[in-house]
Amino acid sequence: MSLLEFDEVDKYFGETHVLKDVDLNVEEGEVCVIIGPSGSGKSTLLRCANRLEEIQGGEIRLEGQSISAADADINRLRQRIGMVFQSFNLFPHKTARENVTLAPTKVKGLKEGDAERRADELLDRVGLGAQSNSYPNQLSGGQQQRVAIARALAMDPHVMLFDEVTSALDPELVGEVLDVMHDLAEEGMTMLVVTHEMGFAREVGDRIVLMADGKVVEDSPPEVFFENPKTDRGKQFLSKLL
Amino acid sequence: MADSYSEGRTGDGEYQEQFLNDKTLRRLGAAVAGLFTLAVGGFIAAIIFTQVDFELFVEIIHPQFVNAFLRVLGIVLLGSLLSVTAGIFVGLGRVSNTRFTNTVATAYVEFFRGTPLLFQLLVIFVGIPAFWPPGQFPISNWQYPTAIIGLTLNHAAYVGEAVRGGIDAVPEGQMEAARSLGMSYVQGMREVVLPQAWRNALAAIGNDQVILVKDTSLLTVIAIPELISAFRNVNSTTFDPWTPIILVAIAYLMITIPLGKIVNHLEARADWGGDRR
Ligand SMILES: Nc1ncnc2c1ncn2[C@@H]1O[C@H](COP(=O)(O)OP(=O)(O)OP(=O)(O)O)[C@@H](O)[C@H]1O
Ligand SMILES: [Mg+2]
Repeated sequence: MSLLEFDEVDKYFGETHVLKDVDLNVEEGEVCVIIGPSGSGKSTLLRCANRLEEIQGGEIRLEGQSISAADADINRLRQRIGMVFQSFNLFPHKTARENVTLAPTKVKGLKEGDAERRADELLDRVGLGAQSNSYPNQLSGGQQQRVAIARALAMDPHVMLFDEVTSALDPELVGEVLDVMHDLAEEGMTMLVVTHEMGFAREVGDRIVLMADGKVVEDSPPEVFFENPKTDRGKQFLSKLL
Repeated sequence: MADSYSEGRTGDGEYQEQFLNDKTLRRLGAAVAGLFTLAVGGFIAAIIFTQVDFELFVEIIHPQFVNAFLRVLGIVLLGSLLSVTAGIFVGLGRVSNTRFTNTVATAYVEFFRGTPLLFQLLVIFVGIPAFWPPGQFPISNWQYPTAIIGLTLNHAAYVGEAVRGGIDAVPEGQMEAARSLGMSYVQGMREVVLPQAWRNALAAIGNDQVILVKDTSLLTVIAIPELISAFRNVNSTTFDPWTPIILVAIAYLMITIPLGKIVNHLEARADWGGDRR
């Protein structure tokens, strides 16, 4: 059993078939990087993984439990799935620390003091120990995104989903966020990462999954994918990068 | 900016540069405001010195106007509290994905915004007691419950629309972030969306509450001795219009001006680290 399993997943937006029979297994401790052209369904796949979108066919399982079943206890399952968004989505009315403590106190019933200690630990870990009392609009994009990562980690997720988390950042701020993700990977976090940062994909990824037109078209280790892709779609994609 | 913008232009451009630049506009504005202040100030001074009877002023201020003022203030406080509270639920109903809830909330807003408050007050005041045989209606002084119920129902519709607008202005990503952390819809609403919606809606809610204060003047029709009634009372016995008019103005402004200050204060408090988004 893999940690996260997509089993013949079909997703429609109205008439548009966005995910077509997608099979994908993410193993524990693995960093699975998803790449592909715009509109290929990468974000949709991630959003289905924590049921921000409903699927119309197949099944998605976390540690053997169905996420997509009608009777799934989704609020409980989501606690094990951390998500970081392209647009940060920090809570603007809460300080960095409050952003991190909100869900642990409200959802897990953690005591305020314990949650705050843990939040400060996490903010330290992403290099923002000194900013815990700042509001999001007092922070740079890179800092906001690192708070968002700390916020997701506070629920002790078993897998983290990253959807183009550096795309909205000024180029000089991309590195600090990728560094945090790099550290996370080294600590053994299971990660499903959509990104256009090929350097990161190559260095940190255990697997490169290429999507096109709602399908997984290649699934290779990075050294294979970037040196000698197995499929024509892979070759095509790489040639466009250069 | 204006200077460099019009630089190098000829003809009309230069003409505008000379006669309608920022500085002249600002001076023109100040001049108009000054004249206006002088005119209104003079008018009010003229009234106070020629029209207001100070003996009468002192005589009617207590207990008549003080009582009317306190009555209005009490009705406003209760009506505000209830209409804002109810309005939040109307707003939540308006954004509900449940068709039934949404339809009921929409119909509510349509009715209470679509008919005059005076009509609604009359429905409650004479319509409800009509369900009992004549003289059997158990509630005495029904005009007071009528006032509170009418103002609350009516203004909950306006507050509800303000709250709906406030919720709509919160980016969808906020609820998604809350849900992806394992929070329920209700938790996401309460902890994340509503505090932001509240700030977005504050100005509109404040406007509506100022209107609620002024709407208490309609209560004269259901025989509540409020400020307009006090005016009519004095005017009909003394034939002096200006003395009670000045008192009425002071009394309303004593409620609406602090109310505006409270709204400003609440807005400033919801600043969250500076620059509004
Ligand atoms: N809410 C929606 N309603 C309708 N269609 C949608 C919606 N979200 C996405 N789509 C469509 O689904 C397809 C896949 O979109 P998705 O956002 O998953 O692509 P992506 O691979 O993440 O692209 P990008 O690299 O631009 O982020 C696109 O054709 C898009 O237009
Ligand atoms: Mg995307």
